[in-house]
Amino acid sequence: MRCKHRNVAIIGSGMSKFSSHREEVNQPEMIHEAVVEALDDAHLTIDDIDCVLHGNMELFEMVHQPDMWHVLGSGAWGKSGVRLTTGGTTGATLACAADNLIAAGLHDVVLAIGFEKLQEGHTTGGITNMADPLWGRSLQTGALTGTTAQQLIDRFGGDRARYAAMKLRTIMDENAMRNRKAHRRLRLDRKYIKEAAENSPPLVGELRMIHMCSQSDGACAVIFASEDKVAELGANAAWIVDHETVHREETLILDSGKSTHRVAAERLFARNGITDPVHDIDVFEMYDPSAWWGLDWLGEFMLCEGDEHLKMVENDVIGMDGEIPLNPSGGVQGSNPIGATALVRVAEAAMQVRGTAGEHQVPKPVRRALASGFGGTLWTVLMLLSKEKPALEAKV
Amino acid sequence: MGDAKSDQELIVSRQVLSIPQRFSTGPVMGRFLRELRDNRRIMANRCPKCGRHQLPPREVCAVCHVEATEWDALGPEGTLRDFDVVYYASPDPLTGETRETPYVLCWADLDGTQGDAPLWHLLDPADLGRVRRGARVRVVFADEREGTTGDIKHFEIIE
Repeated sequence: MRCKHRNVAIIGSGMSKFSSHREEVNQPEMIHEAVVEALDDAHLTIDDIDCVLHGNMELFEMVHQPDMWHVLGSGAWGKSGVRLTTGGTTGATLACAADNLIAAGLHDVVLAIGFEKLQEGHTTGGITNMADPLWGRSLQTGALTGTTAQQLIDRFGGDRARYAAMKLRTIMDENAMRNRKAHRRLRLDRKYIKEAAENSPPLVGELRMIHMCSQSDGACAVIFASEDKVAELGANAAWIVDHETVHREETLILDSGKSTHRVAAERLFARNGITDPVHDIDVFEMYDPSAWWGLDWLGEFMLCEGDEHLKMVENDVIGMDGEIPLNPSGGVQGSNPIGATALVRVAEAAMQVRGTAGEHQVPKPVRRALASGFGGTLWTVLMLLSKEKPALEAKV
Repeated sequence: MGDAKSDQELIVSRQVLSIPQRFSTGPVMGRFLRELRDNRRIMANRCPKCGRHQLPPREVCAVCHVEATEWDALGPEGTLRDFDVVYYASPDPLTGETRETPYVLCWADLDGTQGDAPLWHLLDPADLGRVRRGARVRVVFADEREGTTGDIKHFEIIE
């Protein structure tokens, strides 16, 4: 049984510019960009913040307790604070923690900050060192794998699967072109979907450079407030309806059972009366590290059967004007500052609900938005946001 | 370099960390690594409740959450379940040396395995041209073994 004591909403967000190199700023300065923008967006100052949550990929930049160094940019000096790191899901975990802290009554206004400066460390080395140190580190290739691509090709045929993955990649790029903060804006053309994939260098199996997310520098800050505070401020709010985290203990099992994505979606939807996610949710910000994973996971999150998720891509159901636009921001394939990435999904979903996404605001009215986070050891976090303040009712 | 350019120089602090590490293996992984090193045997432990093997072994069954105390030797032959042909020249994180590409990573179900516990390792580079799922493979042990992942040299295709 879950029952919130009080509602929590997102009332502001900010992001630094995402780029392959942010060598003109150091880490605290880059974080400061996101924090200032979030405070401005919420019409607050740092004095209004009770608690600062801070997270990124553990030791990717080899800085122990980076929140101590970052206090100059985060504004956390003298405030309550927690540092969280759960791999790729870190940003989504920060959002869940902010919701929990405020719903429990411990704080009224919480600032969550996710960041990464991947150029200051070694991304593939960092991910490789997440492997069990006693077995397999020497075999690791970071986050690169071609097995999902091969499974989709086996299941749906090479031509159809390759086209659907690259069409999804192209739609993500069309969206990133509308997002000034996005790192990669490639101007991909729907006329050359087949060629764009074929001309891209292979990384692993059928996974090519064009399919894979970038390594970005960037920071994201999101401000969460209690419902009393929202009323007091008259804030433009995106309410947190619910969130779900699913992970599994063993990472080396390949094919057993349902994916953590599908289990998370089933649980979240059942608790919140969502029977037809494509219709019931208005926009979806997915943590999509590659076009192949994006294609496969669309099916998992939307609880698709058979080839429904391929049809969603083929028929533009996930386009900006479609029934459930996917990643109006351009998604992770557009920008990937890892410790910020999952918080960016929540921030972007909130921007769509609050109507503040500017050039990449979806044209349809957004009542409900979904955001996902993904971690390297098969973690899933889902967060559901709404325009309407949720009822405080017990959920089984 | 002209003056205008040097005015805009961004000073970055370059640092390289080299960290010698030493991990205790414990009685369960320790036994697995000792069997590899001394006896060229791949030992998995088995859950007394559901019967599934764990490879590499771990103290407790991830499904049943009971201690897995029985041991079985698996393979050394098996069937290739899945593979990745890697073109990206990533560095070996243990040595920093860039790997020769392409190379093949594969997952094989060793003969005798109960449940879902494929062994993950490299494939013999000579087999690159004929790798396919379902191929019969055999574990090739390294000549010099130290109780590490490298005690297995690679799989080779045996048909």
